[in-house]
Amino acid sequence: MEFINSLFEYSFLQYAVIACFLASISCGIIGSFVVVKRISFLTGGIAHSAVAGMGAAYFFAASPLIGAMISAVLAALLIGWIHLQHHEHEDVLIAAFWSCGMAIGILFLSKTPGYNVDIMSYLFGNILLVTQQDVLLMLVLDIMVVGISFIYYKQFLASVFDEEFARLRGINIKFFYLLLLCMISLTIVLMIQLVGVIMVIALLTLPAAIANQYTHSLHKMFMMAAVICLFLSLAGLVLAYEPDLPSGSVIVLLTCISYFMSLIVSKRLKRLR
Amino acid sequence: MNNVVIDIKDVSFNYGDVVVLDNVSLQIFQDEFIGIIGPNASGKSTLLKLILGLLKPDIGSIKVLHSELNNLSGLIGYVPQHITFSRDFPVTVKEAVLMGHVTNQSRFFSYEKEQVDTAIDALQALEIDNLQNRQLGSLSGGQMQRVMIARALVSQPEILILDEPTANVDLKAEENIFCLLKNYSEHMTIVVVSHDIAFISSYVDRVACLNKTLICHNTASISGKMIEELYNTPVRMIDHHH
Repeated sequence: MEFINSLFEYSFLQYAVIACFLASISCGIIGSFVVVKRISFLTGGIAHSAVAGMGAAYFFAASPLIGAMISAVLAALLIGWIHLQHHEHEDVLIAAFWSCGMAIGILFLSKTPGYNVDIMSYLFGNILLVTQQDVLLMLVLDIMVVGISFIYYKQFLASVFDEEFARLRGINIKFFYLLLLCMISLTIVLMIQLVGVIMVIALLTLPAAIANQYTHSLHKMFMMAAVICLFLSLAGLVLAYEPDLPSGSVIVLLTCISYFMSLIVSKRLKRLR
Repeated sequence: MNNVVIDIKDVSFNYGDVVVLDNVSLQIFQDEFIGIIGPNASGKSTLLKLILGLLKPDIGSIKVLHSELNNLSGLIGYVPQHITFSRDFPVTVKEAVLMGHVTNQSRFFSYEKEQVDTAIDALQALEIDNLQNRQLGSLSGGQMQRVMIARALVSQPEILILDEPTANVDLKAEENIFCLLKNYSEHMTIVVVSHDIAFISSYVDRVACLNKTLICHNTASISGKMIEELYNTPVRMIDHHH
């Protein structure tokens, strides 16, 4: 109840709710692609590479989100190129990117005077620090991700479903694979303020994994995953508000619990059928 | 039936140091139903991938429908030996078949009415229209293979290529699928890879025996001696009457 009263009173809470809504849309769509293509580890690599750009942006007094976006997109293109050219060493190379991104970011941060509190909100998320500018950036990224996914839905579906067949249909699968990775990067940037770089992979993949247990169609999975993501992020925000807990951690914990419970329920349902 | 639709000339292909195909030449004619047979690791699937343009020959050339394997999307239908997607992929049978219409120019979610109609026609022809709203992963091996054939057929290709289409199905389903292919071969070129020479010989017009190199035979001339040479092991030939 205190949360509802505060929501009408404080603009930072209103921005937080709008941020949850905006992040959930892209999370539903891109999370579904990540889950069905089984590239969670690769997505984790992209997310952690974003720390390099974030640290560099702090060092040069630029916007950390823009820094994160640039490094995440560059990492996505590099990891994508590695996947296409050197498939056999992919997991090790992604692990290298994962650690390298973090290491570069931390080096920059260590040389930036007076960092600490602010960077913690990007690493572990603090939705209450979302500003009007952040909301606008999220809206632009959302429009890009949703627009591209809807326009090229059939190509994305065909190439994540059966790459070989898609290639025979004349679809440029390399282009669509790299485009998908770039959209994953943008979605990660969208979600950084909700749960932070460290935990973004959970909120990106688990709502989609829950939806996958109950739907037989990818576009229905998009919608269900977006609704689940919105519900979990809002519920986490409300639960964290009064006892003053870190909202990112509460959202991620709630998401993990929901996923484990859903696994049990869906297995029971399958047995009953 | 004299119009050559697939022209393979002196093709060789290696995976690293391993010779997979050595100087293979083959002409396949319009509306022909040809079987490619051979033991495991004889290069059958590699030859199909070369025809499909998924691999490039080290030596030699392949022309499909008189061109060098560019812009052939829609002209060749392909049914793979193994499914590469996960069984829990969220896609219905109808959606999977409709994917046979997707090209680089497709946009947004919906399909044209004509495309939906051809997908339904393909499902009906393969007697699986009652499964169209089922999740693809819930189907049996035989049903799944029919869906893959329907997906290859919706774009009304001129050539249909199948890699061991009955490897995971029972004998009854195998007979049904080959009867269906026999009907389609009246107005379509069909290339099928199989390990079962005795079974396919009663359906196909010609057999290409592949074991790195290739020799073609009419089905009537297949003998036990020829099969022994192909498989490098003594075999007994049993005549099947379907």
